[in-house]
Amino acid sequence: MSASVRILRRQMQGQLRTTEWRALLIATWIAITLTTLLSLLGDRLERGLLRESASVLGADMVLSSQRPIQTLRLQQATDAGLTSTSVIQFPSMISAGDEMMLSSVRIVQSPYPLRGQIQTRPSQETDIPEPGHAWVEARVMSQLGLSLGDRIELGYTELIVKAELISSPDRGSGFRSFSPQILVNEADLEASGILAPGSRAEFRLLLSGSSEQVTAFAQFLKENLGDEERLFSLQDEQPLGGNALASALSYLKLTSLIALLLSALTIFLSLKRFSQSQHLRCALLLSLGMTQRSMVVLYLMQLVLAWAVLALMGSFTGIALEHMVSRWLDELLPQSLPAPALWRYFTGAGVGLALLVLLGLPPILGLSKVSVSALFRDEDIKTERRGLALQVMCALLLLVVLLSFLEAPMAAFILLAFLLLGGAVLGTIAQFCLKHLATPLAKRLLLGRLLVMRLRQQRQWHRLQSAVAILLLTLLSVVWVSRTDLLKDWQAQIPDDTPNYFVVNIQPWQTEGLQSFLDDANVNAVFFPMVRGRITTLNGAPIHAQMTPEQLEHNTLNRELNLSWSNQAPAHNIMTEGEWWQGETSGPLISVEEEMAQILGLKLGDVLGFDLAGLEVEAQIANLRSVEWTSFQPNFYVIFDEATLNQFPATYITSFRLGQEQQELANQLVRAFPSLTLIDIDQMLLQLNQWLTRLGDSSALILALSLVCGAMLMLLTLQQALEQRRYEGALLQTLGANAKQTQQLDLLELMLLGGLCGFMAAIIAEGIIALLYIHLLDIAPQLHLGLWLTLPLASFAFFTVSGALLRKRLTLDQCYRLLRAH
Amino acid sequence: MTLLTPDGFILEAQNVAKSFPAQEQRLELFSALSLQVKPGESLAIIGRSGAGKSTLLSLLAGLDQPSSGHIKLAGRDLSLMDDAQRAAFRSQYISFIFQSFHLLPELSSLDNVRLPLEIRGDKQAEQHALQWLKEVGLEKRVHHYPAQLSGGEQQRVAIARAFVTSPQLLFADEPTGNLDDETGQQIIEQLFRLNAEQQTTLILITHDPDLASRCQRCVTLNNGHLTERSL
Repeated sequence: MSASVRILRRQMQGQLRTTEWRALLIATWIAITLTTLLSLLGDRLERGLLRESASVLGADMVLSSQRPIQTLRLQQATDAGLTSTSVIQFPSMISAGDEMMLSSVRIVQSPYPLRGQIQTRPSQETDIPEPGHAWVEARVMSQLGLSLGDRIELGYTELIVKAELISSPDRGSGFRSFSPQILVNEADLEASGILAPGSRAEFRLLLSGSSEQVTAFAQFLKENLGDEERLFSLQDEQPLGGNALASALSYLKLTSLIALLLSALTIFLSLKRFSQSQHLRCALLLSLGMTQRSMVVLYLMQLVLAWAVLALMGSFTGIALEHMVSRWLDELLPQSLPAPALWRYFTGAGVGLALLVLLGLPPILGLSKVSVSALFRDEDIKTERRGLALQVMCALLLLVVLLSFLEAPMAAFILLAFLLLGGAVLGTIAQFCLKHLATPLAKRLLLGRLLVMRLRQQRQWHRLQSAVAILLLTLLSVVWVSRTDLLKDWQAQIPDDTPNYFVVNIQPWQTEGLQSFLDDANVNAVFFPMVRGRITTLNGAPIHAQMTPEQLEHNTLNRELNLSWSNQAPAHNIMTEGEWWQGETSGPLISVEEEMAQILGLKLGDVLGFDLAGLEVEAQIANLRSVEWTSFQPNFYVIFDEATLNQFPATYITSFRLGQEQQELANQLVRAFPSLTLIDIDQMLLQLNQWLTRLGDSSALILALSLVCGAMLMLLTLQQALEQRRYEGALLQTLGANAKQTQQLDLLELMLLGGLCGFMAAIIAEGIIALLYIHLLDIAPQLHLGLWLTLPLASFAFFTVSGALLRKRLTLDQCYRLLRAH
Repeated sequence: MTLLTPDGFILEAQNVAKSFPAQEQRLELFSALSLQVKPGESLAIIGRSGAGKSTLLSLLAGLDQPSSGHIKLAGRDLSLMDDAQRAAFRSQYISFIFQSFHLLPELSSLDNVRLPLEIRGDKQAEQHALQWLKEVGLEKRVHHYPAQLSGGEQQRVAIARAFVTSPQLLFADEPTGNLDDETGQQIIEQLFRLNAEQQTTLILITHDPDLASRCQRCVTLNNGHLTERSL
């Protein structure tokens, strides 16, 4: 073994016992783990849902509409030399025996899909199910207890489950893309009796062809797109279904920025402490004849060796955690995630190396410049304070590496600035509070004045510690509460009689039967007709020309609305202006939702024009209503008088509440009215809750790693702080204080700091959660007593216990020696 | 082979000055010091605290650079060498003994002693180190770590480490400063015995008149001037 390797080995063995080297190793390990985890997960999610756009779309381009695609479009596509196929997708209750489940049904025709492939188990010879057959996703099979060959009911028809659908492109857009899906042949649609005019469904025309043909047709369509039509193409940055996951991914990545920042800070501080602790050693090695160059090589080798081991460990733990998280998400994702790119496995190791080398190079170069002659003087060995340019360059390079890894540099930069600014403000406030808390305490304690003096001396340390502790505890609390309590609290605040079932696609001739079915079961339900229409004019002129860009963003101007009619004001709406019409009206009248009127600047007497399936209708605003959108009652932006709208084809909607003991009624209803779509709100909330929980678990995992980093950072700086206090304590002991009193002084300071950080974190977390309640959920904020108890206590305990463990009690003899050494 | 100046000195300082920046002006520690040391000689440098003894020792050993003047060591002008050349030169000709011993805590006595040999790439490092530990009477303490040794034993390990490279010059800074009288006396005996046996040139700093009196020559550093003192 060569001499330098032997020196290196012994050096590393010895340093394994030091806090700064351990902190450095743990922080680097966490940084590598996190970057590996995020790189792999991000790549898999992106590959699965964003990058493989063609496969996601199932075509080169998709024309989507809430109404059946016009035959003209088919003709235009054929004329443009494109291949096309039609798909209809709608939600429907599928039942098998006594079990039923809300699924997303895709009615398809061959050829399908035009791009990508459908995978089934067992694999099938045809590209779509044969008539009378269905291909069903595993979630449907498990919930309904199905096996291959079993029968399911879709509307009025029965289908045989022929294959399990493993993966398929063209899952549709929005939330439906995440619903469990079944694939059915177009030939079975009519027999099911589900779709009737006005039924809620998405109609899609899948198109494929050469790149030139697709581009030209896309251009043509964009210029001639109908109001109800939307076009998705490969050029779109976020095609169908990508938004939710892309947002989830950004959320996870931004959460991890905090962990990465803390790791970088811990690595930086531990490297600084480590290099300081090496000054004496380096001076000695230089005095024994080692050259500066060999010294730099020795320490670089040490860092690289540590990195090699940590890269292995970190990559391994990162891969293991990625498996865990993707398994959590996999159960909720439409199809299994594809494997990541090979190079992604090495991202963590690469970022770890960048962190260690870029942060480690300046202090290591400084080590070779230590003053050997200080060995004679027995004084603190200092290194030349050179290389500021190098330090700045390394810090900038590191920032570039981290921001480019996060792939959302602007968001990451804003969050970074917010964290630094927030940290600075919080640290200052905490230090201010600490000072004012200590002043009255000081009068009652023997060492009180010293405590106040110390708080003044150590204010920088207190600011750093409190900022890190408060930010971390706050973030963790918010994630924890939003993971579990947010939805629960919201559900708890919903009145007991709030409807938990919606029935849509009720045809006019079915209302009477359904009403008596529900009456017989003592279920109270009101039916509302629905006609689809788009707002086109205001007071005779096109509405778009009269609106500001902000007003044009409003939901009601960008899509077809569900319009209703009624000669009575809905019982669950409150009239705020004007009066409801009585009996025959002199002309078409409408009732408008108050907030919409406010935003669009509409007032009583204004005349709105609507496009109702190609027919223009104008109506005057007779009154304004306030609507509780979260009441789970059918609600409408615009309600017409009956005479004006009832001539248009309509479907009906209703909602009602079924108690736990009435659940069987839902099954009976589906059987009695197979073509209706029954939507189980509880089941949808359960799915949403699962999403929130899984996403919360994933970010809590990342934040837990941040917490470990934060704890390491605190222990590291705490140890440094305690060393300074040791000297002060030794001085006090020689001046007459006893060991117990100096210990009390140290612990009192840490207890105050810990308690205060926890308390401040509870205030801020509660504030953030209250904002979420008010703005996101629209419910009254609640106090989370658990936070107020747990946070101050946990933080108090952490600071006190770490202080007690790290603090060494000194005998008088040791005090003398310590003072002499200084 | 002993390298000497043309005048037969192993160490020669000519008009050496050292000053430090202090606020807006420079603080001059000494301005024109000259000193010659013959091979095998033992020289004590004494003086009151703050006189600049340690600084002078650093300059003489090539650990620091004078503000002006020249220091020739074993025939070579140190001011003409760069950092790497001085390090290589130190490794070959010079050893140190410190007041605080400065042993590496994670290394055993044996490893501490063989460290300078390993830096030089000596393949017989372990053998030589064992031999020197035996020489200072620590053959039963070879695998002990510094924390397991008394102050006197630690300084003996440091002496073994200093002599193991067969240096031509040995610089010692208060070698008995951290030891009680009896242990200090034993260390002095050992140091001078080895100095005599190895024909090493010894330059040491001390406050201890007894230790200074054991040297062949003694100089006092006072107010920036060196004065030869008769023993």
